[in-house]
Amino acid sequence: MKAKPKNSLFSSYPQKPELFDEVFEEGGNIKPIYEKLLYLYGEHSIKDYVNLNNKAKSSFFNQGITFQVYDEEKTQEKIFPFDLFPRIIDPREWDIIESGAIQRSRALNLFLQDIYHDKKIIKDKIVPLELLASSANYLHQMMDVDPPGGIYNHISGTDVIKHADGNYYVLEDNIRCPSGVSYVICNRTALKRALFGVFNHYNTYTVTDYAENLLQILESVKPHGVDNPNCVVITPGMFNSAYYEHSYLAKAMGVELVEGRDLFVENNFVYMKTINGPEKVDVIYRRIDDAFLDPLEFRPDSTLGVPGLFAAYRKGNVCLANAPGTGVADDKAVYTYMPEIIKYYLDENPILNNVHTYHCSRPDELKYVLEHVDELVVKPVDEAGGYGISIGNKLSKSEIKQVQEQIKKEPRKYVAQPILSLSVHPTYIDEKESFEQRHIDLRTFTLLGKDSEFVLRGGLTRVALQEGNLVVNSSQGGGSKDTWVLKKDDRHASTGSE
Amino acid sequence: MLARVANNLFWMGRYIERSEHIARYLNVNYFSSLDAPNGLSQSRQFVLHSFLFMIGEPENDPEKVLDEESVLFNIGLDPDTYYSIINNVKAARENANGARDLISTELYEAINKFYHFVLNYSPDYFVKQGLYDYTMNVMERTAILRGKIRGTLLHDEVYSIIMLGVNMERATQIIRIINSKYHDAILAQDNYSDKMSTSFEWSTLLKCAESYDMMRRFYRKTPDIICTLEFLVLNDNCPRSVMNSLNQVSKHLHTLDLDKNPKKNSTAFLAGKLRSEIEFMNVEDIEKDVKQFIQRILEQLYQISKRMEEEFFKY
Repeated sequence: MKAKPKNSLFSSYPQKPELFDEVFEEGGNIKPIYEKLLYLYGEHSIKDYVNLNNKAKSSFFNQGITFQVYDEEKTQEKIFPFDLFPRIIDPREWDIIESGAIQRSRALNLFLQDIYHDKKIIKDKIVPLELLASSANYLHQMMDVDPPGGIYNHISGTDVIKHADGNYYVLEDNIRCPSGVSYVICNRTALKRALFGVFNHYNTYTVTDYAENLLQILESVKPHGVDNPNCVVITPGMFNSAYYEHSYLAKAMGVELVEGRDLFVENNFVYMKTINGPEKVDVIYRRIDDAFLDPLEFRPDSTLGVPGLFAAYRKGNVCLANAPGTGVADDKAVYTYMPEIIKYYLDENPILNNVHTYHCSRPDELKYVLEHVDELVVKPVDEAGGYGISIGNKLSKSEIKQVQEQIKKEPRKYVAQPILSLSVHPTYIDEKESFEQRHIDLRTFTLLGKDSEFVLRGGLTRVALQEGNLVVNSSQGGGSKDTWVLKKDDRHASTGSE
Repeated sequence: MLARVANNLFWMGRYIERSEHIARYLNVNYFSSLDAPNGLSQSRQFVLHSFLFMIGEPENDPEKVLDEESVLFNIGLDPDTYYSIINNVKAARENANGARDLISTELYEAINKFYHFVLNYSPDYFVKQGLYDYTMNVMERTAILRGKIRGTLLHDEVYSIIMLGVNMERATQIIRIINSKYHDAILAQDNYSDKMSTSFEWSTLLKCAESYDMMRRFYRKTPDIICTLEFLVLNDNCPRSVMNSLNQVSKHLHTLDLDKNPKKNSTAFLAGKLRSEIEFMNVEDIEKDVKQFIQRILEQLYQISKRMEEEFFKY
């Protein structure tokens, strides 16, 4: 049974036919998986909804679940915008995402292992040497280092989107310090508080098991000879934009949250300074960038890190998660080789699609990119957080010229991809007091341990709150939605009627 | 527990307690002056000078005419004065942030709401008509925080560190408030036949320590200097007394260091020494030279706090 929305919340929903809407089919029919949800939301008037929305907002604010925005004048405390209308992913689609994310994480781990040891993949000419040689994130200090448990990327954040063709594509892999998982849990909590009734009608996986799985993964990579590893989370400090997340993870795992100045190294072992004297530390979930980890080995001016930490790591006396030097593999240039990398190490075909990518470092592709800037997304290869991205069809003539000049100056720094049409999801827009289509993506969280792996069944659906905008990062004004992954036996949703 | 985080928790406790005492001092003195029995205690200038004396920034020229609105703003909501209530709450929250993974969500949320309350309070409204509302709110919110500290935290070393901060600060503030009201009583002396020993200021002092009713219940008489000092310094059943605060300090130090015979000059040793000194003191000794007594106790409290820093908070 296909039903048109009968409730006032969606009566004036403007649907653009050229966009792939996750909830409504062309012509305005509701997709079966969302029928029940729309029916339940329809019981609220727009006034009720505004009310619920405000309550959810102040709940975030009071709990101090905020992030800092760096302004020219001062830093501001802001709530991560949260949309009360959840995204639902059906079990079949989730299987693809989950197995695809694990496949990528495993391949990336083997890739890192290889490039920091024998470099077989380069000798076999699958990826070019320049790819590593020119990468700012390649750490020669990691050569021949064996991380405990053989794991480099313990925590990966794979960003996937649904294209207009209905298929999932990977946008990028984040295997340095991917953040956002605390918001997944907060969003779920906020939605449960505001609209607990709707959960009775869907059989959704929990997301609260992330911390316990993370702790298991961290304990699985304990240094040799340690029975009960002492794990800690290290943070740059409370002025970091993700401090809430660091403190949440430490609290949820029941481990200490430390700063660099709380630790010291003696005889290549790491200790923290407690009220009862020094206590040995075995596994460090670090939320500090490579460059700041150890002033003796990397940036000498770093005050966030611990002098001697890297030497202790190289000796195998402490485990760092993620390993230093992983950034070389989530580089946007390496991304373009992912299908070959997966094939090479796992002898499997990639489960998740890669977006076709043009390398400006290759002369013929550079030529194509320069001629088609208006049809492409141009990205710097080593920037995080959505900075420096230009989207061709949004640029004026003079801006296109600027981009062309930039690329010509440093071709290695840029890659380009066709403009993907991210799927859209009905999102409540505060100023207009109504729902509108907004582009979304999905950050998934994958954990890799010594003999185990885990994908958080949910993830962070990020919303680009400005109309037509394709960049979803929170630092660029993005919001988020609770994400429901349904269990396989969910009969309610598949029949879609009372 | 990390030494740095312990330091955060200790100061969180201190700042919470401090903001409460300042708020109550403003509230009680201002409103009891309105219908005070003698002219000097009724004078607004007298009260404003007393405020500045209490927060540690006394105006040296007793004749100087102070502007009521700017004094209230400076102490209540000025983000640029180190002693203002708003800065104490800010500091409490900042310290809570630094120990966020160790305290309960409930406690953190209460501190955070407290912070947003003072941050958003209109200074204009406060100096013109909000004094009662603002200070009452600060007192109530600190009471909520105390409840959350006691009721939602594990009573382990985290709790003990916070309570050490609370009780060290309480002992200090009570002594400072005694000092300040003693100073006022000297000034009000012989003014309209107000005698030192039965000054109106003793009632105000007890109210500043939230101990007036219980003092009446205990002694069944109008407060005079002897029973007021005895109650606020020596009575170990009075929750605000110096004696009680030091008992709590010793108790919580013991959970941090189980050694029953503390080493010479350790924190526990110094605290125990001060505790027993006060335990075997009588009020007549104090009354002989109140100023000197106050100086001595403040100095010893300072030494304990300093020793604590070296012993537990070094990072």
